[in-house]
Amino acid sequence: MSEQSLQQKPGLFMRAYDWLDERYQVRQLVNALLHVYIPRNAKTYYLGGVTMFLFIVQVITGSLLVLYYQPTPDTAYDSVLRITSTVYFGWLIRSIHAWGANFMIIFCMLHMLRVFIQGAYKPPREVTWNAGVILLLMTLAFGFTGYLLPWDQRAYWATVVGSESAGAIPVVGEQLLLFLRGGVDVTSATLTRFFGLHTIFLPVGLALLLGFHLVLIHQQGLANPDRPSTDIDDREFRKKSKTLPFFPHYAVSELIAWYAIIGLLIVLASIFPMGLEEEANPLETPPHIKPEWYFLALYQLLKLVPRTLGIIAPLLAVLALFFLPYLDRNKAIAPRKRRFAMSMMIATLAGLIIFTIWGWLS
Amino acid sequence: MTRTHSFCKRLMGTVLWGMILSILILTMIGAELAQAQPEDPPSPQGPAPPITHTLVGRSNCLICHATGFGDAAANPPDHVDYTNDVCEDCHEAAPGTTPPSPWSDLAPDALPQRIEHPPTEGKNSCVDCHLVLGETHTEISEQWQESVHGQSDVGCVECHGGDARTDEMNLSMDPASGFIGVPTRADIPHVCGSCHADVEEMRQYNLPTDQYVKYIESVHGVRLQTFKDVNVAVCTDCHGTHDVKKASDPTAAVYPLNVPELCASCHADPEYMASYNIPIDQFDIYKTSVHGRALLEDQDVRAPSCASCHGSHAAQPPDSEEVVNVCGKCHTATEAYYKESRHSRIGENAPKCWTCHGTHDVIKPDESMFLHEEPTEQECTTCHVDENTFRMDKARFANPEDRRCDTCHHENSMIMVQVQAILDALIAADASYTLAEETIQEAATRGMIVSDAENQLAQARTSLISARAAVHTTKLPMISQLTEDAIASAQEAYSIAHNRLRENEMRRLAMIIAVVVILINMLAFYALKRELYSQLD
Repeated sequence: MSEQSLQQKPGLFMRAYDWLDERYQVRQLVNALLHVYIPRNAKTYYLGGVTMFLFIVQVITGSLLVLYYQPTPDTAYDSVLRITSTVYFGWLIRSIHAWGANFMIIFCMLHMLRVFIQGAYKPPREVTWNAGVILLLMTLAFGFTGYLLPWDQRAYWATVVGSESAGAIPVVGEQLLLFLRGGVDVTSATLTRFFGLHTIFLPVGLALLLGFHLVLIHQQGLANPDRPSTDIDDREFRKKSKTLPFFPHYAVSELIAWYAIIGLLIVLASIFPMGLEEEANPLETPPHIKPEWYFLALYQLLKLVPRTLGIIAPLLAVLALFFLPYLDRNKAIAPRKRRFAMSMMIATLAGLIIFTIWGWLS
Repeated sequence: MTRTHSFCKRLMGTVLWGMILSILILTMIGAELAQAQPEDPPSPQGPAPPITHTLVGRSNCLICHATGFGDAAANPPDHVDYTNDVCEDCHEAAPGTTPPSPWSDLAPDALPQRIEHPPTEGKNSCVDCHLVLGETHTEISEQWQESVHGQSDVGCVECHGGDARTDEMNLSMDPASGFIGVPTRADIPHVCGSCHADVEEMRQYNLPTDQYVKYIESVHGVRLQTFKDVNVAVCTDCHGTHDVKKASDPTAAVYPLNVPELCASCHADPEYMASYNIPIDQFDIYKTSVHGRALLEDQDVRAPSCASCHGSHAAQPPDSEEVVNVCGKCHTATEAYYKESRHSRIGENAPKCWTCHGTHDVIKPDESMFLHEEPTEQECTTCHVDENTFRMDKARFANPEDRRCDTCHHENSMIMVQVQAILDALIAADASYTLAEETIQEAATRGMIVSDAENQLAQARTSLISARAAVHTTKLPMISQLTEDAIASAQEAYSIAHNRLRENEMRRLAMIIAVVVILINMLAFYALKRELYSQLD
């Protein structure tokens, strides 16, 4: 065998790839998944991809935490204390998990905002939007259920107050409260319930729905902010517009964003690691109980208006958000041609920010 | 002659004119005076008829007599401008219409009997009428309805007597039905005590029954009973009259947080206290004390108010000998330590709690309480009356700056060597504790888990507090043992916290390395991206 032929021999990875392809036609699948083209003017700011990456970070760090975590009121606090103070890099894993949770909610919201501003939720992408709204709600549910698990005073009482809000929902409130808590009070039943939701139901559910969300995006292609339609009539437009291979071009940019995020998480986890308050004590209500920042606006609203209204209004808002693609009949894409929608968005954002700051300061 | 005649005529004329003028002026002045002075309330038809009913509880004559309400005689037309305050100028109460106090014959050591009145049969005609009479009547009726008495169906007749069954005023407010009207201040303890000293009556409310006896023996009660001084506090001054609230009600004047202000309402009033020759600055001093701040600023109801040391119903200034017991009610461990000390064995002249801590001006004690900043100039007679007798002059400890060990102990004495050793031990323990606390605080600020260090620090704190309390034993070995325990625990806490800080520094160093690696990767991928994009076009 000559030296030249030796150099042309494919590497180990490619040989394994060829070996798999001969048997399972993997190349065809990978080509279908990766070798798609996206409009070059699609400004995603990598927000959706980063959210997905954060979910992966959460799954990995969460899987490591669950090796040590014990979901009973007698042992939960001590096990978290052990993870944070004794287990090798336990503090890092737990802090990245906690910071990652906050980041996931922020990026989920930013992603949604980007899609809204670019009008990418409009037909034919209604179902993709619907799946996205449910993904956001599931992410918030992740936050709510995970918050209880350290079983310290803040965790316990935030859950007491948070689950009480659910009790204010008309008709089903009482039953929902019992369902959430697994009884009248926040007890061991609540802890195991939240643990189960946080580690089994929600991750599996979110992974499946995220897969569905991605399949829909894959099928339709990324929305072109100038003309996000995939109508057959638009094929000419699509042909004319410049595109970019998803792999490797877009993927490399996405990867840089992911690196930035993991770097940020490591810095935050190192400088502001997650602490632990006193162990939960159902007999001692601490002063100034507040929920996490992403529920502060709702918390402040509940303080200002009657409870039923404070629950019904956000529920209606979420429903409106879910059905937005069907309610919004304006076919225009450019923000300047969607003044009503933009005004509503700014008003909602301003309301959320003001109520969150108000709740934080109160 | 003619001249003389003429002079006489002129003189007489002048006198005559002078008389006429004088009469005129006097007449005018008389008319003016007659107009300025009110007419006496004359009784054109002979002497004014006497008042045939009791005046007890009836200060407003016109409410009935202006119009002749019920059986009351209507005022004659010339009384139309008269007010309530002139009635008794002419009309006198008929003999026997004003009954004596029901407790006028009460033996000094007897409990007051209840006011005898007909059974109420579940009625309270007093409130039925007074509620609609307006002004004060309505106000006190509403107050009673909301009071603890109103809520417990303790009606008006229990304090005022009378017949609650009838709305006929002459019958309901008839002294024959036990009506006593507004009890005098001297009678108020008897009115309240008639129920509140009754064991049978109070059992249902689970209330103590010793307040009456305590009050009668208190400085207030003695002055009221013996010196007939009605300016002293009686039950209603603290508890209210018609608006009596439970002591556990935070809006009640006797709620623990409100007690200092309640006592001060009299005891800080210079005019009110002028005749008693007692200080009036206790409340101002107490407010700045550790006790006053805990109670009034931190709202900590466990902190002592005036009543905690002086008693409430049994209010007395505690005797010098009693002070240790009074303070020891809360400071039990300190009291036990004190009783082990040589101080406590000296007897009457022994230093007591107030000698070092003061009374109303107790401040948070610390190591500065051991010695004067500058050595004191003492002579033998400063502390000794003669060779073997101590002088414990309270005035020497009035100034907080003089409540020091070296106020009494000579700087070259053997005792002072021991005092210095105790002080050194405490300072060393406090320094260890402070260092550990600050290190833990810094580690916690950096987000490190320091609960184990805090546990150790809590142990050090317990030992340090015990050592400070053990100062009251004046026994160096005991105090040294506790300070050594405190130092050992504090050093352990410091060691844990210090390791956490080092770990935190390592984490930050590792973070920098990780970030550098990430940045290098990002740069490499960015270079790859640029290359890929350059090939695209």
